[in-house]
Amino acid sequence: MQIPFTRPQASWTPDRASRLKYLCLVPVVLYDSIFFLLPLVFLIWIGFWSVENYRAVPGFSIANYSDIFGQFFSRSRYAYAIAQSVWVSATTTLLGLLLCYPFALGLVFLVPARLQRFALVLAIAPFWTSYILRLYAWQTVINTNGLLNTVLLRLGWIDVPLQIIFTQMGTRIGLLHYLAPIMILILYLVLRNIDQTLLRASENLGATLWQSFWRVLVPLSKPGLVYCAVFGSIISLGDVLSGIVLGGGTGKSLLGSFPLFSTVILNEYAASTNLPRTSALATLLIAMMVMILVLGLQFAAVDE
Amino acid sequence: MTRQHQSWFRHSLAASGWVYLALGYGLLMLPILTLVIFSFETSRFPTLPWTGWTWDWYRQLLSDGKLLQALRASLLVSPLAAGIATILGFFAAYALNRFEFPGKKVLTILLIVPILVPPLILGVAFLGLLSRINLQGHLHSILLCHVVILIPTAIALITLRLMQMPKAIEQAAWNLGATEWQALWRVVLPWSIPGIAGAFLLAFTFSFDEFVIAWFVSGFEPTLPVSIYNFLGSNLSPALNAVGTIVFLMSVLLLIGVELLLLPMLLAQPTKSEP
Repeated sequence: MQIPFTRPQASWTPDRASRLKYLCLVPVVLYDSIFFLLPLVFLIWIGFWSVENYRAVPGFSIANYSDIFGQFFSRSRYAYAIAQSVWVSATTTLLGLLLCYPFALGLVFLVPARLQRFALVLAIAPFWTSYILRLYAWQTVINTNGLLNTVLLRLGWIDVPLQIIFTQMGTRIGLLHYLAPIMILILYLVLRNIDQTLLRASENLGATLWQSFWRVLVPLSKPGLVYCAVFGSIISLGDVLSGIVLGGGTGKSLLGSFPLFSTVILNEYAASTNLPRTSALATLLIAMMVMILVLGLQFAAVDE
Repeated sequence: MTRQHQSWFRHSLAASGWVYLALGYGLLMLPILTLVIFSFETSRFPTLPWTGWTWDWYRQLLSDGKLLQALRASLLVSPLAAGIATILGFFAAYALNRFEFPGKKVLTILLIVPILVPPLILGVAFLGLLSRINLQGHLHSILLCHVVILIPTAIALITLRLMQMPKAIEQAAWNLGATEWQALWRVVLPWSIPGIAGAFLLAFTFSFDEFVIAWFVSGFEPTLPVSIYNFLGSNLSPALNAVGTIVFLMSVLLLIGVELLLLPMLLAQPTKSEP
């Protein structure tokens, strides 16, 4: 039996003539231009405005920047805050990778395949609950007279309560709890897509478990590790909540008791509502982010 | 190393791996469990030993009203923002997935980049713009700003789903005489439903949880995270745990949605389709 063809073309695509793409893209492009690009341009511009009688006055003066750089090491000590931010976000990201990579390995290689999906849902579950409430809950856990200290004191493992809250260690705990589900998800997806025959091949060729891990598995999961690192540092540089709720604003770290740069920006605006100056500070933060992104992308590009 | 040694080593490695997983899950769940459990504790300060069960904090929450009002505000803003972002995102994802055109790469980056910019920066930027055109300080200001950060998630997830669609089914619709709109409406859209729903859920979560932007632009109509933040500053109270438990129950519902919609999509391999 013969089926008559209604149209001779094998696959007819109206792509060339289609106007549909404009209809689809114009709304989103318009929206992003007005509410994303425009505010960013504005932000950089407002950084050069000044304040007179509590009102922002358009103009072009570098007073904000010269004032900020003048206070880099004195009074507001922005340089110390920037250093603290970089230090905390770098250590947090590293800790996150060190803690989440073995976890993802466990998910892929230990948990039976039919249970993996459920295990993954459980691992990313915290991400779907409110961040600020999780921080509040961590407060109850790591408080000086909180759960952790009560338990440790009862057990007799410590004599004096551990001071974790209102230090940058507290900040890191909050950030890690935010980052972990996402890092685990990324690393899980990368590890799961690694061709397992490569691991068996390296084993058959006489590699020890450590060698297969270090010389096959880790290099293959490098893209995931790089994504996690870039993502982790950007989130922890920009986060304000953990540094305030768990870090207490000016938490202590190895560097000393300095606030994070993001905390400084938020608190300065809350205290002064000086938008031009806050905009100048935010512009500095953008510059930091761009540097990290460029470094990260270069690092990722080297491997490819 | 002998074979016996090696298998012993493997077993202990697996055992320590299980212990590590258990510890990890414990830490991931710890704050959530703390919230739920201590919302029922009598004592004002959430510490051990346990002093007794009570519903007081829920009663206090209902009578106070501030947090509940903020919850209502959030429940108004977040679904709307997520809905708008998902609709805009669907059309953008469709066009980006189907068409090739000059400048596509730049456009894609422009559409994705808002998620990479920290909300702190966006918060200051939005406030700068909105205060010039007198739109700051209301719920709709938050709505306008949230849509921007939600569009990238929507585009990413819906693109993921569209990439799994065999191109042939849309072409078949055209060949059978459907117009482009009809094919989009009756073939592509039904196929994308899981992606759209997943995108909506994720966008809703992001918006519902977003603090910094809302803090900068909300004024006297705070959303839930902002209200909780103000609450933290003033008086520590287990009423927060009660809010937490309510929010937790909501997120359980969301999670079921995620498990049914989002994960199957993330775990599926993209189908190879003819160019």
